[in-house]
Amino acid sequence: MAYYLLQRDQRGAHRLAESLERALSSLQHCERCNTFTEERICQRCANPQRDARLLCVVEMPADLAMIEQTLAYKGLYYVLMGRLSPLDGIGPRELGLEKLLARATDGVVEEVILATNFTNEGEATAHMLSELLAARGVRASRLSRGVPVGGELEHTDSGTIAQALVERRTL
Amino acid sequence: MSHKQRVDQQPSFVLHSHPWRETSLIVEVFSRDYGRVAMVAKGARRPMSALRGVLMAFQPLLVDWSGGGEVKTLVRAEWQGGQPLLTGRALLCGYYLNELLVKLSAREDPHPGLFEAYSEALCQLAGGQSQGVLLRRFELALLRELGYGVLLDHDARSGEPVDPARRYLYIIEEGPIALGADIGSVDPDCQIISGQTLLDMAAGVLERPETLAQSKSLLRALINHYLGGQSLQSRRVFTELQLL
Repeated sequence: MAYYLLQRDQRGAHRLAESLERALSSLQHCERCNTFTEERICQRCANPQRDARLLCVVEMPADLAMIEQTLAYKGLYYVLMGRLSPLDGIGPRELGLEKLLARATDGVVEEVILATNFTNEGEATAHMLSELLAARGVRASRLSRGVPVGGELEHTDSGTIAQALVERRTL
Repeated sequence: MSHKQRVDQQPSFVLHSHPWRETSLIVEVFSRDYGRVAMVAKGARRPMSALRGVLMAFQPLLVDWSGGGEVKTLVRAEWQGGQPLLTGRALLCGYYLNELLVKLSAREDPHPGLFEAYSEALCQLAGGQSQGVLLRRFELALLRELGYGVLLDHDARSGEPVDPARRYLYIIEEGPIALGADIGSVDPDCQIISGQTLLDMAAGVLERPETLAQSKSLLRALINHYLGGQSLQSRRVFTELQLL
């Protein structure tokens, strides 16, 4: 991409450089949900239509965007900007968990939905958060996992089916 | 160093992986017959990649790879199943096991016995067994399999069998020395351990509370010594979590 811009599209290169420059100087973390925003508090957190009793914790802004796309969630978010990864030296201190804990115990939040990824790191993050929240008397829940919507067992990978069996629910 | 090789259907576990280039992963694999091997999983980070859900740590896999350099190319990985995913505290213990293997074992140094001990430890973690006992058993197996002959059943100076009723001073790289004899001034960093604990450890029976407590501090001292100043991130994260 760098070679293409330098050789064929210098105006585009300028625009890209300016956008990055502007983003670097004006973007900050939202005081409430920790995502990138140009204001002190992002538009989503400032929106009174959203249900402030629900707080959904995700790893990255891209995860937030994905959940928003479903139109199935009306609560607020907290973006960790990472995940617990002990082998990479990323622990509670690196993730700045105090800010999340303060946010979750503001007295308005009634349920924290842990929507970290279903990788080992995401699971470890969810486990750690659930314990920290339980100790503070905040109800926590975890996204459920299993066979995808419209999925046929015949074409689902065996790891997913095995886990769906372990986590099966009574009807 | 090594010749070009093609390995098929090798029982393995993923220890750690990190992103490489746009869509690939570099995976640190612990295999039964080849030890710890690094390999590139090309395209493993593409959204529809079949490898995405397979290359998870703590799950038994069959892995095919090829290549001659330090970093091989992963050809195929197949999930073997039969083991539930680790959750909660067991997951944090799993990270600790993986970090020990990454930091203490050399690349391409096969240790089938250690592989056996690792699979067993993971299986017990997944099955919800007492974590203290299984972690100590793995630490001991690790030190023994890697060739750090940990002397437990004989006095290092007199050569006599360890007496369960006596207390011993454990000197790293040397072994236990019966207390009470003329050993001169005692280094405060040295471990004082009962003979019963030493014999229990030698037999691999760690359930007795005193054995568990004393073997924990002895194994920690030994591991720290062999780590040569490297710190264990998983241990630090664990401690930080307790403080929150």
